[in-house]
Amino acid sequence: MLKRLLQSEYLILALCVVYFASMAPFAEGFASGENLGNILSAMLPLLVVATGQTLVLITAGIDLSVTSVIALASVTGAMVINGDNGALAGSGFATPAGIFIMLAIGGAIGLLNGIIITGFRMPPFIVTLTGMMFFSGFAIWLTKSKSIYNLPPSFLALGKHTWLAGATALLVAVTGHLLLTRTLLGRWLYAVGHNPKTALISGVPVNRVLILSYVACGLCAGVAAVLITGRLETGSPVHWRSSLLDIIGATVIGGTSLHGGRGKLLWTVFGVLFLTLIDNSLNLLSLSHFSTMMVKGGVILAAALLDSARRRLMGGVG
Amino acid sequence: MPMKQMLISALSVLTAVLLAGCGKSDSTSSSSSGGSPPEGRQLTVGVAFETLQTEYWVAGFDAIKAELKKRDIKVLEAIADSDSNRQLEQIKNFVTRKVDGIIMVPKDAKTCIPAIRAANDAKIPIVLFNRVADRADVKFVGVQADNLELAKGTVAFMVEQARKTGRKHKALVVMGDLGDLNAIGRRDGFDAAVKGHEDVVEVVARVPSEWNQEKAQAGVVNALQANPDINFLFTSSDFLFPSIVSALKAAGKYKKIGDPGHVILGGFDGDATAWQMMQDGYLDATGVQDVYFEAESSVQALLDLLAGKAVPDLIRDPGFVLTQANMAERKARTWGANVNK
Repeated sequence: MLKRLLQSEYLILALCVVYFASMAPFAEGFASGENLGNILSAMLPLLVVATGQTLVLITAGIDLSVTSVIALASVTGAMVINGDNGALAGSGFATPAGIFIMLAIGGAIGLLNGIIITGFRMPPFIVTLTGMMFFSGFAIWLTKSKSIYNLPPSFLALGKHTWLAGATALLVAVTGHLLLTRTLLGRWLYAVGHNPKTALISGVPVNRVLILSYVACGLCAGVAAVLITGRLETGSPVHWRSSLLDIIGATVIGGTSLHGGRGKLLWTVFGVLFLTLIDNSLNLLSLSHFSTMMVKGGVILAAALLDSARRRLMGGVG
Repeated sequence: MPMKQMLISALSVLTAVLLAGCGKSDSTSSSSSGGSPPEGRQLTVGVAFETLQTEYWVAGFDAIKAELKKRDIKVLEAIADSDSNRQLEQIKNFVTRKVDGIIMVPKDAKTCIPAIRAANDAKIPIVLFNRVADRADVKFVGVQADNLELAKGTVAFMVEQARKTGRKHKALVVMGDLGDLNAIGRRDGFDAAVKGHEDVVEVVARVPSEWNQEKAQAGVVNALQANPDINFLFTSSDFLFPSIVSALKAAGKYKKIGDPGHVILGGFDGDATAWQMMQDGYLDATGVQDVYFEAESSVQALLDLLAGKAVPDLIRDPGFVLTQANMAERKARTWGANVNK
């Protein structure tokens, strides 16, 4: 029974439902339509970044640089398209150019991460950790730590309209899902995560697969940068600086293994939903941010323990 | 579980939430919870602070809560931990909970605009405490210390002390996060006060701290190495004093007032560290923000807005310059002197 429950695909979704039902009477306004809208719009950028993180975690890697990618992409795009002193100020191309720049920066940093990790056989943890320091420092240096405002209205619409941001997030998540379940690359990602040596012997181009996973992760962070910059109407070098734990936490809560080889996009959707529900409800309860952090830390630890328990129950190295 | 079925169920969950969300999130503007509340109902005010990382914010937070409690108003609290995205969520949550008013400390002048707009759309009056936003197309009341004037007054007092010694002074200024209008005001105040007094005070180092202790310390250590004869130091916030004092001590330059090696020290805020340094005879002056005045004015402004009275866009806290000479009489109004009780 316990084994079946732990192995269920829908464990986290069930927990979301139980949590929602049990919090609704206590947190005033939690179940209101307006609040569901808040929950949704808060989920979207997180879902997009977590999608990329899922791909990387499946290869037994990790990308800690995503928050700095968001920051750098946000300020660089905003610098070019803002109406005050941007190179494309007032141009009709400003919005597509801004989106392109943000995605390109995400993809480029992902590529760099992938090349360093595979080329020098460095642990992803240290490569992306130093990447995080470097790129967030660079973003602050670039802007002298000032936020950039006055962005084109068509660009802002991307983050402001929940349906538009929702469609974007859905597109990213479904693409990630199809990539993992329907393509050869998807199978290779799992194979590399399970055991890179066996994968290599079986003819999987391990290095290329790893590089692609980091590029995809960077691209997702670039998309998230577009949504966040649009939503907050500002390019800022400190956007999402403190959200790294949420991103990795949501993925791990969903059930994607930190040890690689196991994970699904759908699980990540549930993980993102669960973490957002916790955040939103504790906030409605007017709990201090520090208590929220303690609860979230506890939940993420519990999820990591669950991950280990699952691996043991499945009787193996996973 | 077959893959297809799983995908379909996931998509339907997401779509359901999406639809429920869209339907409502666009209609927030129609649900007015502001205006004048019926008599007798207890008011609720949401207090959203960007951070509680310095004593000043803690003192401000406590002063506002005390002021609201005194008037029997219920408080909802939210701390964003320096994250403007989280702050936006928190303000939206206040709107969901249909608070009667919001008092907010924004992260900076710009990223908070969507949050203010969310309150504006729901017709909930909003007061920005101590830090104001760019006006853009949003409406709010700001309550703020007159950073420029107060910093100018503090530095002018320091310049006067420097002139009394009859020696020329080399000055270092520690600046804040220049994305924060308060930091800009204080830097401009410093510049305005030293201007025209180049014969006594020459500015040799400007240390950007971004409101970060480590950066301030590293910057001051470097500046003292490059210019060992610095003997005039102004910091844009007192909360940086622990790092600055440690850098001064390492250079053997932390001496009491009256000692020939004394570095003329000035700060801004009037926190507990500054108060202690003042009592111990190390600190010459600090520009004290009157937290109690700011808290009272914020709450009063909200109540006035709810009652439909006209409130100015900006309420200035004049503050005062705390010096060795007026310490005793100003103690009650200096929040730093009262926080550790």
